[in-house]
Amino acid sequence: MSLFAGPVRPLTRELNVTNNEEKINDRITDPHDPGRMTGAAAAVAAEELAKIYPGDIHAVKGISFAVEAGEAFGLLGPNGAGKTTTIGMLNTTVKPSSGRALLAGRDVTRDPIGARSVSSVVFQDAVVDRPLTGRQNLELHLKLWGVDTSVGRRRLAELTGTVGISDILDRPVATYSGGQRRRTEIVRALLSGPEVLFLDEPTVGLDTRSRHDLFDVIGTLRERTGVTIIITTHYLDEAERLCDRLAIIQSGTIVACDSPARLLASIGPEVLELRTDDAAKAAAVLRANGVEPDDVVVIGQTLTASLRAINGARALELLEDGNVPARSATARHPNLDDVYLRLTGGPILSPADRPE
Amino acid sequence: MTVTAIPAPILGKRGEKSRTKEVRAAPTLAMRRLALSVRNPRALVLPVMNPVLFALVIAPALANTVAGPAQQTTYMTFLALATMGLLIPLNSLFFGIGVVVDRQQGAMRELLVAPIRRSSIVLGNMMAAIAITSLQTVVLIGLSVARGADYVTSTHVLWFVGATLVYTVLMYSVAEVLATRLPTAEAYTAAIPVVAIVPFFFAGSLFPITALPGWLSAIAKALPLTHALALFRYGLTPSSGVRALHNIWGMTNVTAMAVLSAAVIAAYALLAFVAAVRLFTKAGTS
Ligand SMILES: Nc1ncnc2c1ncn2[C@@H]1O[C@H](COP(=O)(O)OP(=O)(O)O)[C@@H](O)[C@H]1O
Ligand SMILES: [Mg+2]
Repeated sequence: MSLFAGPVRPLTRELNVTNNEEKINDRITDPHDPGRMTGAAAAVAAEELAKIYPGDIHAVKGISFAVEAGEAFGLLGPNGAGKTTTIGMLNTTVKPSSGRALLAGRDVTRDPIGARSVSSVVFQDAVVDRPLTGRQNLELHLKLWGVDTSVGRRRLAELTGTVGISDILDRPVATYSGGQRRRTEIVRALLSGPEVLFLDEPTVGLDTRSRHDLFDVIGTLRERTGVTIIITTHYLDEAERLCDRLAIIQSGTIVACDSPARLLASIGPEVLELRTDDAAKAAAVLRANGVEPDDVVVIGQTLTASLRAINGARALELLEDGNVPARSATARHPNLDDVYLRLTGGPILSPADRPE
Repeated sequence: MTVTAIPAPILGKRGEKSRTKEVRAAPTLAMRRLALSVRNPRALVLPVMNPVLFALVIAPALANTVAGPAQQTTYMTFLALATMGLLIPLNSLFFGIGVVVDRQQGAMRELLVAPIRRSSIVLGNMMAAIAITSLQTVVLIGLSVARGADYVTSTHVLWFVGATLVYTVLMYSVAEVLATRLPTAEAYTAAIPVVAIVPFFFAGSLFPITALPGWLSAIAKALPLTHALALFRYGLTPSSGVRALHNIWGMTNVTAMAVLSAAVIAAYALLAFVAAVRLFTKAGTS
């Protein structure tokens, strides 16, 4: 397979993960032959995928990753990062400008129908026939994917029961709530027994309760079907909760790719968050005491620093000794937002975008 | 909860399995389109309303006004058949709105990620359009008979049936092209009168094309509707059909003229169908 011959390019910017012996690339290189990617056996493999839309819009700038069968892989990034475009190239509805991708070994450009037959998509916004009933929408999927009638009937009963939509199946989808519609779409996607399931921003527009219900539903369905999942999101909690591994994507480029735990570990054990009128001075004090420049991010009057060389208590002491005017200061455990901030120099969500 | 593994997918790989799936795809999609149409009866009634009104009210009234007593039935029948030239384009174009709606708020993207050819999607819609048009044709012809139209039943009817089918393929392909190219439902709706009604006045519907000025009658001969109408007439009112065909071709061999006109609309239909599939396929992977 020419796609996987030749030297492996580094997939992501390497992280300063202290306790990380296993580099990111190891996950997709064959341990017995490091020069060869095991991507051919991977459920999803993307190599240098790029998309330039008309008008010279570089939406995706050559991204590579491989996802193992059964893995849940997240594309995490702000609106406009290129997540939907990436999913579009993988599901054959967006033509890559360059690069290649395989779904369960099928090339999305050369064998689009083959690639589509092993995958299903839950789109970012509703893609259903609203006047038709849930059952009609589901049965259409079964027929189009050529699922054997009795197998299809059994799966339909089982999956709709699992996610609790059996009672509403014979109502027009137009009468469903947002959460019910999403469940219907997820069930529909799984009816064909796909090897790869794409979920594009699955919980956008849902209330908190429905979001959490949906996390549970996705988790359950994953256990039951063993399907490989590619999920895009701009919600950190969602990424952390649903994904085994995350690619943080920023302006069409993957800036980091690892498990949520190891991404968090890359930040160090503690994070200092300081509200101050003199962020420059605070930053200078911290740097003078061994905090790496890359580990300090200033946005407005808020300074965030990942602490490795010194702990939180010591950092607060130093700031006090240095007469830094602080309005509030806390040392806390890091979260994915900190990882994101450190990698991109900005928060993933503007306050208005945060889920309630 | 007991965790039961869902069996491995029965996937259409290459060969037999995927071919049967492909063959079933278009009828499946046609059924979907019909199911959606049934839920929106207005969309079925609107396109047939104008032609029915024309055949039942306007045609007899016009015939009364312009034709002498001996000619009334003949002219009324002439006008009633002309109505087919409104019915097929209006119905096909109204039907095409469904494609715009699919794209804007329906399941289009789900269809685009289904493991079927893009052409099956166009074909499925077209099969539904043909089904609906056939039904409406039967209603229209039936109503005009009830109103006194005088058709001749003979094997010539097959020319009528064939021309209806091929002309529907043509007009529905045009509808798909417009639905794929025009960005909004508004733009699409605005195009309907231009495409569906303007040609009607020049195609020998209300009067023979020989009554047109020379240059316009040359244009009329190039319009597919002129050929379709001549064949509709040839199918149900052979003597009037022969005149219409003669006005186009000026030949004496009637069958040859009918075959030529059929070839003209078939060529248009083929071109339009290929364009529709090409454009839809291109739009499906952007
Ligand atoms: N069809 C398109 N034509 C032109 N530009 C597009 C198109 N789709 C997306 N873009 C642009 O590409 C970039 C990435 O978009 P998208 O993949 O939707 O990002 P995300 O899903 O991460 O929010 C954005 O700048 C967006 O405006
Ligand atoms: Mg998106």
